Amino acid sequence: FHLLFQSLRQLSQRTISTASRRQFENRVPEKQKLFQEDNGIPVYLKGGLMDALLYRVTMGLAVFG
Amino acid sequence: MAHQAHSYHMVDPSPWPIFGAATALLTTSGLTMWFHHNSMQLLMLGLTSMILVMVQWWRDVVRESTFQGHHTPTVQKGLRYGMILFITSEAFFFLGFFWAFFHSSLVPTPELGGQWPPTGIKPLNPLEVPLLNTAILLASGVTVTWAHHSITEGNRKQAIQALTMTILLGFYFTALQAMEYYEAPFSIADGVYGSTFFVATGFHGLHVIIGSSFLSICLLRLIKYHFTSNHHFGFEAAAWYWHFVDIIWLFLYMTIYWWGS
Repeated sequence: FHLLFQSLRQLSQRTISTASRRQFENRVPEKQKLFQEDNGIPVYLKGGLMDALLYRVTMGLAVFG
Repeated sequence: MAHQAHSYHMVDPSPWPIFGAATALLTTSGLTMWFHHNSMQLLMLGLTSMILVMVQWWRDVVRESTFQGHHTPTVQKGLRYGMILFITSEAFFFLGFFWAFFHSSLVPTPELGGQWPPTGIKPLNPLEVPLLNTAILLASGVTVTWAHHSITEGNRKQAIQALTMTILLGFYFTALQAMEYYEAPFSIADGVYGSTFFVATGFHGLHVIIGSSFLSICLLRLIKYHFTSNHHFGFEAAAWYWHFVDIIWLFLYMTIYWWGS
């Protein structure tokens, strides 16, 4: 078990390239700006087009099912 | 722009509660169709729509808290009470199944051969896979606590490692249980032994899957920097739920697997 732990540790300490490192930057401030915009849109639609699409699919299934 | 003069959260109007109720109706009707009319379409429709509602509802809670900042300490206190009450209700749910088990096993009827396990039932050896499963869940309780400490100490890397290990242990438990279910010499149809065994352990397994899913969402949020060292209630709720699942297993193991063999 100790050997497994050691190799897991080494794996997570390996440096990652700049491209993938950008994926793990803190994106929360951008989201905070988007969702705090004073545009009157309710939270369930405030994320954009995907929200509306998902909402309509869900409504279709739930109501007409 | 109006500002509130209180620390509570007045939520935006949302369609998820009523859609959720509709999907619950679809799912329960779907179960009936499956049990009695050999048809799975309605159930599949129900489960799909239920998952869609759950994803969007909880996505919105994350938006309201992490992105919009509505979860003041007052709101968080309410959420804590809510989670505790929910887990308590689940404890009562399992209590019912334990009651059923003891009702049948403490006074075994002549039809069972007047003994427990009933005549003809070959129970699983509690010192084999079930014991391993006990060790796995206990270890996962340790790793989830380690993850919590790492979060409060601001140690991102260790928190991710510990939470990942917790989830992997959860998956390992589920895989082993699935294998045990497949290999078991008795089935749910084997009298009251089969019923009590598979209903109690089955609902527990479902809760392990739910808990693992909750923890996986927390891992995703942890990686995306949603949690701070002193505000991470989503994680705490998942950890409480996970400990609850562990404790239920310990009772299952001691009563159904060990005493009942």
